Amino acid sequence: MIELVDLCKRYGNTLAVNRLNLRVADGEIFGFLGPNGAGKTTTIRMMMGLLQPTSGQVLLGGTNLATDPLTAKALCGFVPDRPHVYEKLTGAEYLDFAARLYSLPKDVRSERRDRFLEVFDLGDWGDELIEGYSHGMKQRLVMASALIHQPSLLIVDEPTVGMDPRGARLLKKIFRDTAARGATVFMSTHSLEIAEELCDRIGIILRGSLIALGTIEELRDHIGRSRAGLPDGSSLESIFLHLTGGEEDPSSEALFA
Amino acid sequence: MTPPPAREGVSDATPGVTAWPHHPTTTTTDGLGFLGWQRLLLAPRFLASRNRFRGYSRAERMRLAGFAILALAFAGAVFAFFHRALSYFLSVPDFGPVLTYKLLGMIFVTFFAILLFSNVVTSLSTFFLASELERIVAAPVPTRNLFYARFTETLIDSSWMMLLFAAPAFLAYGVVHHTGPGFYLMTAATLPPFLLIPAAIGVMLTAILVNVFPARRTKDILLILAVFSVALLYMLFRMVRPERLVNPEGFADFTAFLNAMQTPESMFLPSTWATEILFPMLGLREGRPFFYYLVLVSTAAVAVIACESVVTRVFAQGWTKAQEGRQTRKVLQPVWERILAILTLPFHSATRVLVEKEIKTFFRDTSQWSQLILLGALIVVYVYNFSVLPLGGSPLVTFYFKNVIAFVNLALAAFVTASVAVRFAYPSISLEGKAFWAIKTAPVSAAQLWWAKFWTAFAPLVVLGEILVLATNSFLGVMPFMNWLAPATLLAMAFPIVGMALAVGITYPNFEAENAAKVASSAGGLVYMVLCMSFIAVVVMLEAWPVYVIFSGQFSDTPLDTTTWLGVACALAAVVILTATVFASSVRHGIRKLDELEI
Repeated sequence: MIELVDLCKRYGNTLAVNRLNLRVADGEIFGFLGPNGAGKTTTIRMMMGLLQPTSGQVLLGGTNLATDPLTAKALCGFVPDRPHVYEKLTGAEYLDFAARLYSLPKDVRSERRDRFLEVFDLGDWGDELIEGYSHGMKQRLVMASALIHQPSLLIVDEPTVGMDPRGARLLKKIFRDTAARGATVFMSTHSLEIAEELCDRIGIILRGSLIALGTIEELRDHIGRSRAGLPDGSSLESIFLHLTGGEEDPSSEALFA
Repeated sequence: MTPPPAREGVSDATPGVTAWPHHPTTTTTDGLGFLGWQRLLLAPRFLASRNRFRGYSRAERMRLAGFAILALAFAGAVFAFFHRALSYFLSVPDFGPVLTYKLLGMIFVTFFAILLFSNVVTSLSTFFLASELERIVAAPVPTRNLFYARFTETLIDSSWMMLLFAAPAFLAYGVVHHTGPGFYLMTAATLPPFLLIPAAIGVMLTAILVNVFPARRTKDILLILAVFSVALLYMLFRMVRPERLVNPEGFADFTAFLNAMQTPESMFLPSTWATEILFPMLGLREGRPFFYYLVLVSTAAVAVIACESVVTRVFAQGWTKAQEGRQTRKVLQPVWERILAILTLPFHSATRVLVEKEIKTFFRDTSQWSQLILLGALIVVYVYNFSVLPLGGSPLVTFYFKNVIAFVNLALAAFVTASVAVRFAYPSISLEGKAFWAIKTAPVSAAQLWWAKFWTAFAPLVVLGEILVLATNSFLGVMPFMNWLAPATLLAMAFPIVGMALAVGITYPNFEAENAAKVASSAGGLVYMVLCMSFIAVVVMLEAWPVYVIFSGQFSDTPLDTTTWLGVACALAAVVILTATVFASSVRHGIRKLDELEI
């Protein structure tokens, strides 16, 4: 479903993404991890056509995003890291707008709009302007808008930031159900617990380069083989910190001096 | 105050750390003193300005210098206007001093009204809506200190522009009346207390309003009221026909109007006190300036203290109400849907959804649709100007003038259309803001989005331009050729005018801008206006000769020969080719830039 070929993005002298090669299969839930500033959001934004790659290719469902962006984008649902939406539309109007961008017929979009508002706990707020929504409500609305056309590929950047436990649980269920229906979920997250719980495979990016790729077991084996020190059954957190060089306990002593 | 005991286990778990060192906060903050607090609370504002300036690129500094030159030019124009008006008043026997007094009174009354309004609007932000306030309100800052810091910010933000206007006006008074330095010193001493009074009343009003209405709704209502008042004042001022001042017959009427304005009549208005302080210093009549100065200063002091007293009492509750952001607004769905369905009927479905979104968001944004009120006033005054043109005289002169004016009017109408386009069409992409990802990630082509933006801007702008041209031509009674050439040219020019606005707007997008006015007043906006003016100038030049020969032929009743007609056709064809080329390049450039746009 996703194929990134030698993907690079350069900002002036900074190489944000460095020759990234990655394939994600249909029906897979893929976790894209990395410390702050590693290049996760840049990669995702290139995958959605929000940023132009400096070099390399993005293929979505076999379609080259650069040469046939409309076909490639029609496959995707996107949830950005921050839920910026048109504040002067109502929730229902926004969902309707999103559905129409993907050319859903009127009867289908009306039915889905109402159903999605209910599923995402926005039923009572559908006719209110979005400017009155809380952060979590906007996030749920954006998630609903990404799913309204039932995409084959769901790309999500930091899905659980600012979500309450109920919302986060709903989200996890949605990801599982989406994948169970054969769609692919590509998710960047800082929540290692969610990644461990949901993802079939994990990719870890550091300073723009993919430094590890595989299932959690594969990553554990890989580290075990290359460097001793991680016990069997180590958590994803230990693996992540080991790979990204954050193993040392951060000291807060200076704060209390 | 006794420090809290150390938590058990802390020292064991983290060697060297026993407990959070306790700082007795109250002692530290009191130690700052009033001025220390003001310095501390106002520092971020000044540091931010300094850092912004330091971070400016060479181009941005040049732009800033450009704005400074513009401001100076504006001040110079104000000085010239007042110098000329006051010199003229001085030359009018009997009425001169009256007019000078009335004008001074009008200046102060107008300033007072605008300052009052400006302070109400500004204090809504500085006291209740500014994002940085949350951090300050959460800190142990005494309300009184917070009040004075925010009051100072409000005062500066509301008054600096007024001072820019006032300084050259008062300078003109001094120069024309050859006053000594006493007048300038007194002016400098009068302005601070005069500015403090509307600031104190404005802040007090806001604090009360926020306790009654939701803060954001109050802001919308005030904005609409402000725009409406400006539009009304603008129309009123024009309808009074101040140009009659130069006409002795109309002069009496104008003086009657000035009297009817009842400007510095009430002795309870600070504007009257300020007038009474400065006017005697011009040497036109005796007065009691020092008495009025004491009245002004004492009132300012009382107003500020009263304001402090009110605000410190009601601030906490008002702040809480202003934070209750979930002021939901239901919209009139069925009515909207029906109107939009009709308006967007001609469009393809992909374009239609974008056009509908454009229209909905425009009419729900008070800062956007309220500008239509101003636009309405502009049209009324524009057309009115033509209705009162003194076109009497010999038939030759009248016929000549009517057609020359009609031709100039074509350029003027195109310029007005471009000026409106820079405010409405140019910021169109920037106003997508951070929500633009939704469209960029959807299977919508750059061309579909471009055309949606184009038609949404083009339709109202072409109607505006045509109203200006057709209505004014009808008032002028121009020759038939001009009657079809002007609207046809304007229709053709509207395509590149809107196309260029979008293309340049896409080239210099600003997704961080808070409002359309900020986007329009950027360097990109200036680039667009320069391009547009050049285009309009070339079109006008190309049409000047055909208009002239046809006009001459009609006037002398001589039919044009084939060669001349051929020349006319060539000139008009050149206009069509130029318009089409500029429009096509705008479309191509705009769509390419939109496609490449990174967000």
